[in-house]
Amino acid sequence: MSELLTAVSILFIVTGPLLVVANRFDLPTVPVFVVAGVVGGSVIDPDILLELAYYGIALLVFTFGTRIDLAAIRSVLLDGELAAIGQILVVGSLGVGIGVALGISPTEAIYVGIAAALSSTIVGTALLQTEINQGLVRGRLASSIQFVQDLIAILAILLLGAGTLESGYVATAIAGGLALLLAAVLVNRYLFDAIGRFAGSSDELMILAVVSLLAVFVGAAEFAGISIVVGAFAAGLAVRHDPVEYLGLFNGLQSIRDFFVAIFFVTIGALVVFPFIGDIGWAESVDKLVLVAGLVVLTAVVKPAVTTAILIYRGYEARSATLASLSIDQISEFALIIAIQAFLLEALSSAVFDAIILAAAVTMVTSSLSQRYDEEIYRALANRGVVSGRHDRVDEWSDVPDDIADHVVIVGYGRQGQKVVETFEELNQPYVVIENDPARREIVNRECDAVVVGDAMESYTWEKANAVDARLVVSTVDSRPVSRRILSLGLDADVTLRAGDRKTALELVDEGALYVGHPDLLAGQQLAQQIRDLFDGDLTREELRENQRAELERRADHVPLHLR
Amino acid sequence: MVAEPALTADFAIILLSATFVGFLAKKTGQPTIIAYILAGVVLGPAALGIVQVSELTELLSELGLAFLLFLLGIKMRLDEVQHVLKPIVKISIPQMAAVFIAGAGLSLALGFDPLEAFLIGLAVMYSSTAVVIKMLTDKDEATSLHGKIDVGVLLVQDIVVVIILAVLAAGRPDDLAEVATTLAIVLVLVALITVAAILASRTLLPIVFRRIADNKEVFFLVAVSWAFLFVFVSDNVNLFLAPLGIEAYLSIEMGAFMAGLAIAQLPYSKELQDRVNPLTDLFVMVFFVSVALDLEAAQLLAHWQEAIVAALVLMPVKFLVFFYLIDWQGFDHETTFLGSINMIQVSEFGIIVAAVAFEGGFIEPEVLGFMTLLAIFTMGVSVYFIEFNHALFERFEPTINRWTGDGEFEGGKREYRDHAVVIGYDEVTKNALPLLADRYEDVVVVDRTVSHIEALEEEGYDAIYGDFRNSTIRKDVAVKKADFVLSSSVQPEVNKALLREVSEDATVFVEANRIEHARDLYDAGAHCVVMTPYLAADRLSEYLRAYLEDDVDVLEAAIDGDIELLATPELFPDVNGRLGGGGDE
Repeated sequence: MSELLTAVSILFIVTGPLLVVANRFDLPTVPVFVVAGVVGGSVIDPDILLELAYYGIALLVFTFGTRIDLAAIRSVLLDGELAAIGQILVVGSLGVGIGVALGISPTEAIYVGIAAALSSTIVGTALLQTEINQGLVRGRLASSIQFVQDLIAILAILLLGAGTLESGYVATAIAGGLALLLAAVLVNRYLFDAIGRFAGSSDELMILAVVSLLAVFVGAAEFAGISIVVGAFAAGLAVRHDPVEYLGLFNGLQSIRDFFVAIFFVTIGALVVFPFIGDIGWAESVDKLVLVAGLVVLTAVVKPAVTTAILIYRGYEARSATLASLSIDQISEFALIIAIQAFLLEALSSAVFDAIILAAAVTMVTSSLSQRYDEEIYRALANRGVVSGRHDRVDEWSDVPDDIADHVVIVGYGRQGQKVVETFEELNQPYVVIENDPARREIVNRECDAVVVGDAMESYTWEKANAVDARLVVSTVDSRPVSRRILSLGLDADVTLRAGDRKTALELVDEGALYVGHPDLLAGQQLAQQIRDLFDGDLTREELRENQRAELERRADHVPLHLR
Repeated sequence: MVAEPALTADFAIILLSATFVGFLAKKTGQPTIIAYILAGVVLGPAALGIVQVSELTELLSELGLAFLLFLLGIKMRLDEVQHVLKPIVKISIPQMAAVFIAGAGLSLALGFDPLEAFLIGLAVMYSSTAVVIKMLTDKDEATSLHGKIDVGVLLVQDIVVVIILAVLAAGRPDDLAEVATTLAIVLVLVALITVAAILASRTLLPIVFRRIADNKEVFFLVAVSWAFLFVFVSDNVNLFLAPLGIEAYLSIEMGAFMAGLAIAQLPYSKELQDRVNPLTDLFVMVFFVSVALDLEAAQLLAHWQEAIVAALVLMPVKFLVFFYLIDWQGFDHETTFLGSINMIQVSEFGIIVAAVAFEGGFIEPEVLGFMTLLAIFTMGVSVYFIEFNHALFERFEPTINRWTGDGEFEGGKREYRDHAVVIGYDEVTKNALPLLADRYEDVVVVDRTVSHIEALEEEGYDAIYGDFRNSTIRKDVAVKKADFVLSSSVQPEVNKALLREVSEDATVFVEANRIEHARDLYDAGAHCVVMTPYLAADRLSEYLRAYLEDDVDVLEAAIDGDIELLATPELFPDVNGRLGGGGDE
């Protein structure tokens, strides 16, 4: 058995138990890998792992590329959420400033700035998955901010490929990068499906072909003298595809990726010289720790603060803004790639490199904590008046008749909200819609008579909706905090709520809601009825299909475009 | 310009050529293994000489064998293999003895000296784990009866290889007593590692994996970590035993297999198979390509005539030996034939045994070349026999029947047919389960949450842990043969993939959150698309209408009904009793 196999074995043996422990506490995996590397680094020589680690980087960036949704880029640009990216500039410059203040060279300070400014997609999005799936504002905000940051990271990797920003290099780099992207688009359009047809039903060949494609792009990048990361990214774009036809391929790539990416992060950890351990001096250790501390504060405190401020300025509710910001308060795995690349090019001293890696590991853990207690953090801040939304925005965007009374307050203008509004309009019942997503502002304003664009967690919103005089509050939002908040307002009006699970629903009924809708329950009932009809022979499959289709089209006529 | 460590071109070249020949093989209907081996011959020093064995390729090919055995281990549920254990031992031991005698005798006849002939005999006894298992897996026959026999025999052979390698690696033995000691130690070690694996699968693993099973990435990596633990221990067993003054070796394949075996006994093994499979495919490819990467043409071809003669004699001999022995154990004609035809090649272990013997100074490089050529040639030919084993059987069935005894061995697994498949257990689909259970003999539920699986199994449903995106899972629940399929996934790609696979006669219920998805799904053949959000919206607005029109009785009755339903605690509500007029459309 080779030395390499021993090293890889040790690496995984150390990582496994740590992963089990971390999973117990719902911690993200990346810091676990880094810690495993730090632990295993005493036994294994990271240098022999470097080549494998590079495959890890390539696969990491590659799978990121395969998931890029071009429509998402467009919608980010259209939503004007790009403005939120202002935080990158602010936090980045602060990072450079701190670096310089701590006496490291300006080039190295740039890397510190990059590390501080970029947030992690893997950590952030994984933590936010529920919110993103539910289509909540903060989920969408955080994921689009991270998305733009990732693109910027790729650009940074491209431009910093030589370790410095020499003009001669930058021109070649941009030309090479563009050529690769163009090649990616061509492959995606013309070659990919042909490969798929050739491979037929064989997932093995398909995976092999795609990995080869990755190798070709990486090789091309190497040949053009730009970072392999850019090649890997382009390769990802080249195989970007609707996963339906290639379930086996994308599942397979995921396994290969998980394997090599683990090796990459562990290797990074193994490269770190831990302060106060091994052959490192006292003074050096202190310097390193100061830099780590600076980066952590910058990332975990200053970055969310700046982002919150910008988002609030853009008109987002204080709560959404804070919660979104609290999910981007970590250092990105892309920053790690940039750092290791610079380190190997000797553009980065080992002290700064170590500081970035350690700070990344720390912030990824703190981030998962801040995420878990985000609601509490926001409450604490809001109660002390540290964050507050701007009521003038709410006033400007809202439209409620002054004399409204005996009305219904509807929380949320999603599918349910929209249907409810339709019903009330038929019945000539006055209503006010509360919606907190500025992106839906125009639609709500266009389609509804009375609107408050604000957060249901804030009392000003309810004041604005004149909830005191309302006869009924209908919440269509599946969020426990919001439901609780509504019940705690102490209104005279009846309240109907929505819950995602049976237990919450029952609790809310006990706490005084008139009715709590639990969509799954309804769907389950209907499903059972339909199956029974089929089995009893009351309905043939074809009749069922025709009925259902007609029903669907009837609905489709009523549903506004953005909800289809 | 860029000074970062360049990725070596060797691996890229291997990848590209493997892909190229792989596609070529696919187009011409040849097995991919052959393509990979030939690619290795062409790339290696025997022909072009553009690729050398680097540390990376060596690692990947080592991992290839290790993962192949790990994967195989994951598939071996002890309760499914138990009934063939005895016949396997009775087949494998006489088989190796017979083939050894044939191989050694033949070598003597071909002009090798007695020591060389003895070692060649030792080297040709085994059939190729890599070829047979890869082919069986590709053909989805690894868990069929003949598959189990072959795999079992291969494992017994593997143990013997380990022992022989251990003896050879110790250098020229002084006396028989030393050989006996080494033998004893290796056997004890194999027993120990087996006991460790089985103990772990009873105690530690269920607890650990239950905790992590809901996180895909962690689940996979911890399983890999578990495999590496066994690989590492088996490989370094010598270091651990050195302080005790004992010298012994175990193969990493053995370790990997045992690690897999321990996991196989858990309910999560199906899901893991699909996760490990792609990595294995990639690594095994590297293994096959690198088989021929080491050899100079001159060494490889020194005894080419002898190698061809040996191959032409040994393959039929192996077949006949296996055929006689399997038939002797009372298996049916088809199992006997398939089990034998699969095993006619000389193993890659033959090359390894020869390589170790060469390093120990027992044989010349030319003999190693002879073994390599023999292995490559027989592997290549046998792949075709395995590929077309069923066709061959049909062709020769009458002849075979004349020569075999009556099969009285029972075995094989039950398959689903005309059953109901439910994907995802949640508050929506659980309402359908009792109805389906009334109607269908088998109701299979696929779910990715451990607690659901446990609850379902308690209720007597067949529950499979795993992700429906994985092909093994789809095959396992036999979607193609299902009569009724209900999916609670709202992801259109999952549902579309499902609709693609079901038979035309199946009734399909799926879920969707968006109208356009629902439309697509109807177009793709769904009979009913449940749209929870819209249903809920309809129901809510109905209630609100009643509320505003002061239709209090209707409203209260409806709301009370809903709340009563909410309060129903049991996992499987008897929906038959409660629903008068469920749908409100």
